[in-house]
Parts: sequence; structure tokens; C-alpha cells
Amino acid sequence: MAPAVTTTLKDEPELMWHGDGVKMAEVLEALNRIRADFARAEAGDHEHAHPRNCVMTLVAVSATQAEERRAQRTCRIIGAQHPAQSIVIREEVGAHGHGLNAWIVTDIQRPSMASAVECEIVTLHIHGAAADHIGPLVDPLLVSGVPTYLWWMGTPPFGKGELHEALRICDALVFDSSRFEEPYHALRGLSKLITIAHERLGLADLQWSRLRAWRESLAQFFTPFDRRPFLAGISELGIDYAGDGRGNRIGAAFITGWMAAALGWKLQRAAAGPGGIVAAYYRAGQRTVEVHFRSVRKEHLAPGELSAVRVAGTAGGMTFRLSVQRDPERPPIPPAEPAYQTMHPTGGEDEAGIELASRRAEWHREVLHENLDSLHHTATGDPPGESRPRHPVVFTRERRRTDTAQVFLTIIEIGESAPLRHVQQVEHQDEATLLLDLLATGTHDSVFNRSLLRAFELMRKV
Amino acid sequence: MKVEEAPNPLAEGLHDYRVADTAVMVIFGATGDLSGRKLLPALYNLAKQRSLPAGFAVVGAAMSDVTDDAFRKLASEKIHQFSRTKPIDDRVLEAFLSSLSYVKVDFSKLDDFRALAQRLQELDSSRHIPGNRIFYCATPPPTYQTIALQLQAAALNTGGGFHRIVVEKPFGSDLNSARELTQTLQKVFPENSVYRIDHYLGKETVQNILAFRFANSIFEPVWNANLIDSVQITVAEEIGIEQRGAYYDQAGALRDIVQNHALQLVALTAMEPPLAFDATAVRDEKVKVLRAVRPLLGDDIAKSTVRGQYTKGWVLGEQVIGYCDEKNVAPDSQTETFAALRLSIDNWRWAGVPFYVRAGKRLPKSVTEIRVQFKRPPHLTFGREAMQEVDPNAITLRIQPEEGISLKFGAKVPSAGLRIRSVNMDFQYLTSFLVEAPEAYERLLLDCMIGDPTLFTRADEVEAAWHLIDPIEESWRNGVPPLGMYPGGAWGPEAATMLLQADGREWHRP
Repeated sequence: MAPAVTTTLKDEPELMWHGDGVKMAEVLEALNRIRADFARAEAGDHEHAHPRNCVMTLVAVSATQAEERRAQRTCRIIGAQHPAQSIVIREEVGAHGHGLNAWIVTDIQRPSMASAVECEIVTLHIHGAAADHIGPLVDPLLVSGVPTYLWWMGTPPFGKGELHEALRICDALVFDSSRFEEPYHALRGLSKLITIAHERLGLADLQWSRLRAWRESLAQFFTPFDRRPFLAGISELGIDYAGDGRGNRIGAAFITGWMAAALGWKLQRAAAGPGGIVAAYYRAGQRTVEVHFRSVRKEHLAPGELSAVRVAGTAGGMTFRLSVQRDPERPPIPPAEPAYQTMHPTGGEDEAGIELASRRAEWHREVLHENLDSLHHTATGDPPGESRPRHPVVFTRERRRTDTAQVFLTIIEIGESAPLRHVQQVEHQDEATLLLDLLATGTHDSVFNRSLLRAFELMRKV
Repeated sequence: MKVEEAPNPLAEGLHDYRVADTAVMVIFGATGDLSGRKLLPALYNLAKQRSLPAGFAVVGAAMSDVTDDAFRKLASEKIHQFSRTKPIDDRVLEAFLSSLSYVKVDFSKLDDFRALAQRLQELDSSRHIPGNRIFYCATPPPTYQTIALQLQAAALNTGGGFHRIVVEKPFGSDLNSARELTQTLQKVFPENSVYRIDHYLGKETVQNILAFRFANSIFEPVWNANLIDSVQITVAEEIGIEQRGAYYDQAGALRDIVQNHALQLVALTAMEPPLAFDATAVRDEKVKVLRAVRPLLGDDIAKSTVRGQYTKGWVLGEQVIGYCDEKNVAPDSQTETFAALRLSIDNWRWAGVPFYVRAGKRLPKSVTEIRVQFKRPPHLTFGREAMQEVDPNAITLRIQPEEGISLKFGAKVPSAGLRIRSVNMDFQYLTSFLVEAPEAYERLLLDCMIGDPTLFTRADEVEAAWHLIDPIEESWRNGVPPLGMYPGGAWGPEAATMLLQADGREWHRP
């Protein structure tokens, strides 16, 4: 992963131009004038103008003032790292009238050993019918020859013409499935979009990017050659996530879908119970892989964020267990779930002891879930495999936190050896960092596409 | 393909996913300068980037009698002092320090190596390490062979897992000593387990030469003798020899810089496109081109080489002493602090294109660059008068300090008449990538752990370079050509200017 963005924005950007009820031609004229003035000022009397560099055009579509501010701030952070053309659009629902309200602000970076770079952020408030035609509106502002990313900050209107029109002018649609208002339905729309998206269009989910640290930690365990056979011996996968309701299971479903797609698991059956419990059976060759999700209460996690992932199995007569926990320094057992703590006393105040006891408790709990059908029936009272939430779960609260630093504790047990602990720090994963990472790695991610389809397959069943 | 040899399917799509296999890295000379300044901070940063796997361990091994805790304390101090990334992340540091331990090793005592072996076995057991070992010689070059032989005697080069040894440049002081070192190392480790580290190759900027040449299609078609007039490579330093008088007076600019850094730049500039960016393909091409460099022999050395030594002068506005007044330098030293060569590459691509190489200390500024000078247009369409202010086209690859690429070409001066003037199209990496590049040692240490020797020097590469340098070195020790003096702050002795003037060219001023 690219290094985290650590830029500190010192000052407010300078407002260079503002117009209410203006036409796009006026915005373009103002933008060109600002650029020319900067080039002249930097070149001095006797020099040629320095070349402008630009690595991408970022078009952020916001629906609220809070989103607009977030977009502007993110654009400034990106501009401090890479010169980019940023356009922030806010749809003013219900407003009438002609023209646009537009603002152009600039940030100037002065690297110690390179010429100054000016980044402009163009903010457009659009209303009326123009709001349904974003593509043609911003087309004249796009920088030729560099990728255009359309960052839809809320839930993209999947299946609607306005989205498809906007997608024509961009190379990638960027969204954050952890911010979807109706996650299940949005995921369904997204999985359809994947199948019809044109070849050039990349799809990038910031939530998928955030899961990268989890995927890396899991992949790391199987990277040494001598552990590669363990991949074919996985029999259990357990995932803890924050919040309840099926919309919060997207992250867990992504991890499951990713492993299923990578390792050729085929979904046999799945069911959900109250308290966010999900149990699923996959077929992997002659083996069965049991997958369990459960909702945990962790105050510091936003709904949908993962708290722990556990993998276990046997290969070549050797058992193995891998547990990756997030932020283990936080109280691992909230007051509402004390039962397993008392069943597995830690034997001391040591944090490692608490973690180990907690982990044993988690495994113990999963043993209780071995019989999926009886679990399902016990939990829901429904016949096996038929339980579905009757209404989509709608989230109204902020689903992402601003503090995104994570600590991962990996515990490895192989055979009879003592558990091996490994602590890793996952750097901040704010939106600017994730967007810059997409810029470096591209948005055409076939692994994401496959994982999404397999995740939706699971979500649909439960 | 066996299961364990197949790619990890869970790693697919994880860009930049580079994770080392679980291993123990033994740092010989762990309490020394290189370890403290470079290796331990680089390992800490790798841990911070989550590139070190669970179970990875570091064992410090040196003559000093210190405890594990004392070594961890020392490591912590050095990491705080020299880490590229600040502030130090306490959580990562604590986890990293917990993977450190220390064993006192006197390189002459086999028993100490046996004690080391015992410690490594314990770590294998407690940290799920499948016997993988990396032995890093952060020690003076004369100890490399002793360490390798003791590792063999203690059976530390055998068993399950991989066993690699890392040695730092210089790799010998001439062809014979380089061969002797290679032979000893190869007695103990197969060549593909010997990692000769020249941190220069780990620099992002040096790797960018390959990206520039082989990730773009517009440059390669003109990258040959048909269009290129000459190539100039400059590795200039404004600093003197600082505290390295004793070493430098034995080595000189030719061995210190030209034999490795400058010839690496020649190879990267002149090599054919490798089939892939992998160890064998890249290093094969580098060796091929180094072998194609025509050796300078006999009279050629007097005609095609220049050696110089700085005297007192002014650099960056400050008065500096002469080389012979430096600490630990013989007052009558004949060691060169400046070297310039005219090299020819005898292959189809470069026939007739001279490569001018210069490297020196106490030059006006620190700069490393490769300048590719193109031929003049075959016909002056606009007439001689209109073109009199126009230099030939040139591409300059600036390695440091302002990494970038500039292209010089002619453009019409705005006026009623028709006059052409040279202009520069200048690309600065910093204006497109305003992020800090990783330290060279981070890249190279991780490459070694992963088992990717692409950016390490292979034995035949080292020998090819010494094969070119040895005759020059011998001639210079015999006083041919004579040592030219230059005041600190000048671009070398007068003979360096004459070297190009004789060919109707002149050095580009960086």
C-alpha cells in the first residue's frame, strides 16, 4: 500500500473567483485566467513558464454541505501530494433557476527542489435539470490524457440514466460501500453494474480498499511455501463485525467472497439469525468450509467495520489456526457479552492472556454453531434456510469514523506449538489516502469484481 | 507445479504485496555504524509497512559483550535517530524490538558461531521459522571470507529453509581479490544465495532509468548510434573525503565511484531491453554491455583517462583544504579524487558513440546525471545563421538532487524573422510525485528476504567491472597519465576539459 498521506493543510485555500448564476463558459474563462496569472507570476520576467503537471481529474459528487466540505478537504490533500484537477459538485435538490453557482479556490505547493505547483478546486452548485446531466456539464473541465475519477460520495443512483450518462466521461467510478444508505439494495445495483460496465470503466470501492489490510494479513499467513498446503485444508472461517443488520455485513461478505473466489469454494447454503449471526457452508473439493459471521459491540468501530477474522483447518496432519484481531488494546469483551470470559478465565491481568482467552471463547462459541440448521431454527424459529429480513435496513448515522488508524494482532497456532503473536500497525486510511492509492494501482480490479459477485451471492442467501 | 510452488491465490490483486518469508536475519557487526544508521532503521520501517511477517527475527552478532536488552536499547536509540519516518510509532517499535536478540560473536571463534547456531534453532522453534537464514555482513570487507567460512564450519549454511549471505561493496579491491572473495563465498553459498549489495541500485532514481527507457516506447527507437552523438555521465560531489581518509587514500575515485556507481549507470544507460524485470534477465543484459565496453590498454589509458586531485579552493562559498591536508591522508599522496574516462562500447547499438564518465570530490556541486547528446540535424533547413543559437538535442536524466528529465530542442524565437533558439522541456519528478521515496536499504533488504536479487550485483558483473578498471588502476599507479591538480570547486583538472575538446566536444555543465 502506498504510504499514508500525512500532509497537513496549513491555511485555508485562497478564493480566486466566485460567481452566482453563471454559465460554464464563465467558469472556464475564470479558470484559464487563474492558471495564466499563476504561470506568469512563477516564470518571472525572463523565464519560460513552467510546465503544468496533472495526474488526474477528480470529480466528487456530493449531496450535502458536509459531503461537499469533505470532498473539498480531500481534494486539497490530494493536491498537496499530486497535482490534480478537482471538481466538487453539489446537487441542490429543490432549488430552481438557471445557471450555476461556482467557486474556484487554489492551493500552491512549493517543493524545496522543484517549481511551484498550483492546484485548483472548482466547486459547482447545480440545480434543476442540470443536476441530472453531470457528464456534459463537467466535460469541458476535464484534463486531457489523464484519468478521470468520478467519486460518488453517497450512494450512486444505480440503474438510473443520470449515472450511466456520468459514467461515459470517466475512467472509474469511486464509491464507498460502507456509506451506502441501503447497503443491500445498493450492492445489488453494483453487482449489476459490474456486468454491464464498459471495458474502460473501473469500479473502485473504498471499503474494499480498507479491507486490503485484512486481506494482506490473511494472505501473509499462507505466503511461506511450507504453509501453502494449508490453503487446501481450511475448514472454518469466522468473522466478527460491528453493528447488526445485514447492511453491516458487507465487509464480512467481501472477505468471504474474496476467499471463496480465490480458493474455489462453492456456496451450498447459508442462513442468518438474530444478533447478526450468519452461518454458511461452502464446498471446497471434498471438504466443507464453515463460515460464521457474528456481530460484536465495539464502541470504537463504525457499523460494518471488521473486528476479527479467524481461519482454521488441517493439512497434512497438522492443525492450524490464524486469528487477526483489530485494535486488541480495546476492551475485547464488552459488558454485554461477559459469558465466555467467565468460562475461560485469563489467569491474570495480562492483555495477551485476555486475548487468548477471548479467542478460545470465540472458537468455543463456534463449536456451538456446528449444526447450522438447528442453530438457524433455534435462533429464528424459521424453517432452515428461509429466513430473510422483511425490510431493508436503512442507516441514518455517520458510518465512517475520522480516526482510521488500526492495530492488528495476529495470533498463529500451528500444531502443538505455542501461539505466536504478531502486532502490526495499519496506517491511517482516510479517503485521500485511499484515492491516491487507487491512482497508483488503478481501478480495474478483477479480484474486487469476482469478490463482489461472490459476496452478493452470499448476501442474497441470507 | 507443486501446490507449495504455486502462487498464493490470496495475494492476487494485492498491489505492491511484497512480504518476506519468515526468517532470521543475523546482522554481523550489529553494534556498528552501518547497522545503526541504515539496517535497523530500514527494518523498523519495513515492520511499519507490514512487510515483515509474523515470526521474523533479527539476531545481532558482534564482538561487543552486550545483553539482549542492551541491544534492543541501542536499536531503539538508532531507530529514533536515523529512521526515515518520524515520529516513531511506539507500537510498531515495541513489536519490532521484541523480535531482536543478541549473541556475542568473535569472528575468529568457531564456538561463538556454534552458540549462534543454537540461538537460531531456538528461534526456529519458538517463532515458526522453517530454518530460513539471512546473514548480513555489516562488517569491514576483510571479514567477509572469515565469516563465510565460519558459517560453513558451524553448519549454518545447510539445513531446511534458505540460507543467504549479504555483503557490502567494495567487492574486492581488484579483479584478483574480487575473484578470491567470490570463490570463498561460493564455497559456502551458491551464487544465487550471495547478495552483493550496492545501495546505489536500491535508489528509486536509479531504477527510474530502467522505467524511463523500457516503460516508454518513444525513447528506445532513438537510443542508438544512428541518432546519438555521445553520452556524458557525471557523478559529482561537493564534499571532500570527510572522515574516510584512511580508506579513501587506498581506494581513490576510480575504485570508490567509477568501478561501481558510474559503471552501473553506464550499464543501465546502454543495456539492451531485458526480457523481463527479473534477476537473470536484467543482470544478463548488464553483464553483456559491460563486457562490450572496450578495455583501455596501453596508450589508450593516457589518451582516454584523466586523473586529478583537489587542492585547496572554494566550494559553495567556503574555503576548503586540499586533499593532502585531509586527516589520515599521506602528505604526498598520489591518490586521485577525480577520474574521467572515455569509454567505447563495441556493439551494434553503440558503435562509435563515446561514453564520457567523470566522478570526483570537491566539485562545484553534488549532482548525478546522464546526458544523452543527439547528433545535429543532417541538413540545416533554416540556414546556418538561424540555427547558430541552437544546441543539438539532448535528453538529460537527472538522478540527484532534482530528479527529473529534461529535453532540449530548438524552437522559433517570436519575431518577424526566422531565428531558432534552444529551449528546455523540463520534467521534475517532485512536481508529479510529491511523496517521499523509500530508503534504498528498505527496498534491498526486502528484496533479499523475498529472494529477488535483481538489484544486487552478480559475480560476473563485479568481475566485468574490475576487468575494465584494473589496467587503468595499474597504469595510474605507474604515473600514467600524470595526476592533474584542480582547486576545490572546479570541475576537475584541465586535462578533463582537454579530453573532450580533443573530440570536438565539451562537458555539459550540470
